Amino acid sequence: MSATRTGLAIVDAAVGAAAPLPRDNGELVFEEPWQGRALGMGVVSLERAGASWEDFRRHLVAAIAARSPRDGESAATAYYAAWLDALEALLAERGLLRSAG
Amino acid sequence: MSDAHEHHHDGHHHPRPASEVELRARALEALLAERGLVSTDAIDAVVELYEHDVGPQNGAQVVAGAWVDDAYRERLLSRPNEAIAELGFGGAEGDNMVVVANTADVHNVIVCTLCSCYPWPVLGLPPSWYKSSPYRARVVAEPRAVLREFGLELRDDVEIRVWDSSGEVRYLVLPMRPAGTDGYGEDELAAIVTRNSMIGTAVPVAGEAAVA
Repeated sequence: MSATRTGLAIVDAAVGAAAPLPRDNGELVFEEPWQGRALGMGVVSLERAGASWEDFRRHLVAAIAARSPRDGESAATAYYAAWLDALEALLAERGLLRSAG
Repeated sequence: MSDAHEHHHDGHHHPRPASEVELRARALEALLAERGLVSTDAIDAVVELYEHDVGPQNGAQVVAGAWVDDAYRERLLSRPNEAIAELGFGGAEGDNMVVVANTADVHNVIVCTLCSCYPWPVLGLPPSWYKSSPYRARVVAEPRAVLREFGLELRDDVEIRVWDSSGEVRYLVLPMRPAGTDGYGEDELAAIVTRNSMIGTAVPVAGEAAVA
């Protein structure tokens, strides 16, 4: 598979039991397309930036802990919102989100 | 688990513009694309891959491991979660695995009579027949007939044990290592361990590669 070197099993192992991907009987749960894109964005950008999944997990666990749940928000929405927080934090830490110039 | 499959069909959500978090996701994707860190195609490919990237290969490695290493087999039967985790597999829903070993006198088969609970961290997504009402009802009532329909003919004196999975306990069948595999390495062994042999509706056969 040329799409990515990072198989789903690698992501599962990386996020670990502390922050497992939302699933329903094994199937990944994407309630809205942006959630799948958030996951894909993480995988692709970490790969291209050469960032480690261990760093990402650290940020993800922190983002989940830091995030207060919103009214009526589903578990998958909360998870992938935290996922975006973590991705931004990690890329910012590596200076990849600074505006050019 | 069945409750988790209930959805609300009685009425519409209010149509609403993209949520705040959705807009954030789009903005981040645009920014990352600008930096050359992602492309729409690459993200699409990952999502597509992940939605289908589940198969029984993990379980096959577990079984092959148990075939070549008696100590691992013992750990697998006595502490399945830990033994499976040793190979790097597992997940929140895969907790409370129970591994049931086939012997010359006992054949095991798994089902989820209530819905479709399945040991997905090792077997991937369940095949459609596993989720079908006929299988769920009949494998309990007349397992021998059902297995025969799968092409598995068991001797009359072989006891068939049917294990009903649930959200709390998920079973994996450890099939017997088939004859004629003495010279096989672990990877060759894993290659003949089919998904159905780990559900119990088939047995592995030497020289017959598993098809996911």
